[in-house]
Amino acid sequence: MTWVGWRQQRTEAVITALVLVLLAVLLVPTGIQMAHAYHHDGLAACVGADPSYDCGSAIDAFHSRFGTVAGLINWFTLLPGLFGILLAAPFLIDLENGTYRLAWTQSIRRSRWLAGKLSFAVVGTLLACGVLIVLVTWWRTPFVHLEGRMDNSTYDAEGTVALGYGLFALAVALAVGAVWRRTAVALVVSFVGYFVARLFVDGWLRRTFLTPKSATFLRGARGPDLNRAWVLNQYPSDKAGHRMIFGDCVRSAGPHRAAINPTCLAQHGAGYQHATYFPAHDFWALQGIETALYTGVALLLIAFAAWWTHSRSA
Amino acid sequence: MTEQPALRTDGLGKRFGSRWALKGCTLDVPAGSVTALVGPNGAGKTTLLQLAVGLRAPSEGRVEVFGGSPRADANEVLPRLGFVAQEHPLPHGFTVGETLKLGQKLNPRWDDEAAHGRIERLGLPLGQRVGKLSGGQQAQVALTLALAKRPELLLLDEPVASLDPLARREFLNTVLEVVTDGGITVLLSSHIVADLERVCDHLVILSQARTQLVGSIDEILASHRLLTGPRGEAETVARMHTVIRETHTDRQTTLLVRADGHVYDARWEMHEVDLEEIVLAYLGYGSGAGSPRTAVGEVVAG
Repeated sequence: MTWVGWRQQRTEAVITALVLVLLAVLLVPTGIQMAHAYHHDGLAACVGADPSYDCGSAIDAFHSRFGTVAGLINWFTLLPGLFGILLAAPFLIDLENGTYRLAWTQSIRRSRWLAGKLSFAVVGTLLACGVLIVLVTWWRTPFVHLEGRMDNSTYDAEGTVALGYGLFALAVALAVGAVWRRTAVALVVSFVGYFVARLFVDGWLRRTFLTPKSATFLRGARGPDLNRAWVLNQYPSDKAGHRMIFGDCVRSAGPHRAAINPTCLAQHGAGYQHATYFPAHDFWALQGIETALYTGVALLLIAFAAWWTHSRSA
Repeated sequence: MTEQPALRTDGLGKRFGSRWALKGCTLDVPAGSVTALVGPNGAGKTTLLQLAVGLRAPSEGRVEVFGGSPRADANEVLPRLGFVAQEHPLPHGFTVGETLKLGQKLNPRWDDEAAHGRIERLGLPLGQRVGKLSGGQQAQVALTLALAKRPELLLLDEPVASLDPLARREFLNTVLEVVTDGGITVLLSSHIVADLERVCDHLVILSQARTQLVGSIDEILASHRLLTGPRGEAETVARMHTVIRETHTDRQTTLLVRADGHVYDARWEMHEVDLEEIVLAYLGYGSGAGSPRTAVGEVVAG
């Protein structure tokens, strides 16, 4: 089964590897440049409590030099899905063409054939996503030092979630293809499904995994490190953290003119800032929950695809 | 008669939704026989073969291959079965050599030498992609794959339906060779009767999801007769024999009967019938004015 599994997956595996090589060709030189610039410009010193003015301009320079390349990372979030769907294809083609019947009428049980085929796809997807994660994480190191990795695009590409994304896309393709028996349909449906699920989790579900922290602090003073946090909400407030409504302290100052009454503001205790956020150290907890969620759904779907194929096919 | 049949079904039925593709099928395929499974499209031939090889599970009844269930005892049964599916699907991206390697990897009893020898005799290059071969060549590769398993029972589902006459002849010759070498039971389905008489010694007629006739071809030929006689006397014959088909002209009645004993009445003229006509009669195709079949006979395999 090992040779047969590999032989049937070979084309897709080679394409996946080529995509990763292409990515490495793009990322390795720029990554080395970035790491070099980071050390050369002494940016490491800027990672800390009070960045000096020089630091600010050095960071700006770094950003303007590498910002465009770094923006590419937003696209990488599609790759785990592509890998998963691509590696589902051999299974789907086998079902559509009926060639599974050939395998099922050799001397091995269909359950062994299914286990072999599916584990090839799963292992392939995990490997491809793993390489992607390692590559991107290494490449983004300077940016992570400066900005942390709670930013959406970094969060999606680092840690473990990308493994879950890949498995999920693979599983949707397998399940749809097992029932529908049309490779092209399964590939399109699973890509749309992958996209919708990602939008849903990125845009809404993720913020409900944990209870966010809240903080009210005097503006200008040192508050929590929001630079590296995932900030959900931030607004000027009074001391108790209530949103400041400036209208209350606005008085008319002649026709078409308004002025804020400083005494009024002082009475309300304004000058504070309120923030709701996930601090940087929530990274692994969020990643863990999200990875478990995607992987769990993926395993259910793969089990369903296996069961359906096993019991409903001939 | 104590020898275990290669394939035995008992009240076997398969339902798809509310439609029965096969119902109440009880038959034995004797070990060492070459049995033809004949019937129109949709009669249940493919379903019966898929049940036998375990691709489908029965809705009712039992199917046994050498005494084992093809699904529950797959590990014991599958190595003893060779199966060539309709349209003989092969992975088109594989080369001929890789297809043989697939067979070798998936079958413990694989005969690599025989497989390569056969491909060589066919003149197929090992590096050729299967998808680039002709239909007849693909059928031969599929048959090679099935034979190299060293099966004891070979199941062929419409193996020649998609082939041109030459390829059909070559394919059946290969089957004949294998059978002559001995030790193998063959069950092959077809809707082309003409090919079968040359190759087969047993016959199963399937129509409308049911077996209409099961038996050895010699016995079937010996027991079926065409009777021509005066009109209006058919009832007397029907009391003694099973009338398969009844056709009338103005003065004459022609009956195709399965004779249970001698036809003694001098008023009836008796002729032998060929296999094709018998099969057509059982399938309900009259040669004259269509008249209903009075009974469906069953000859138990000898």
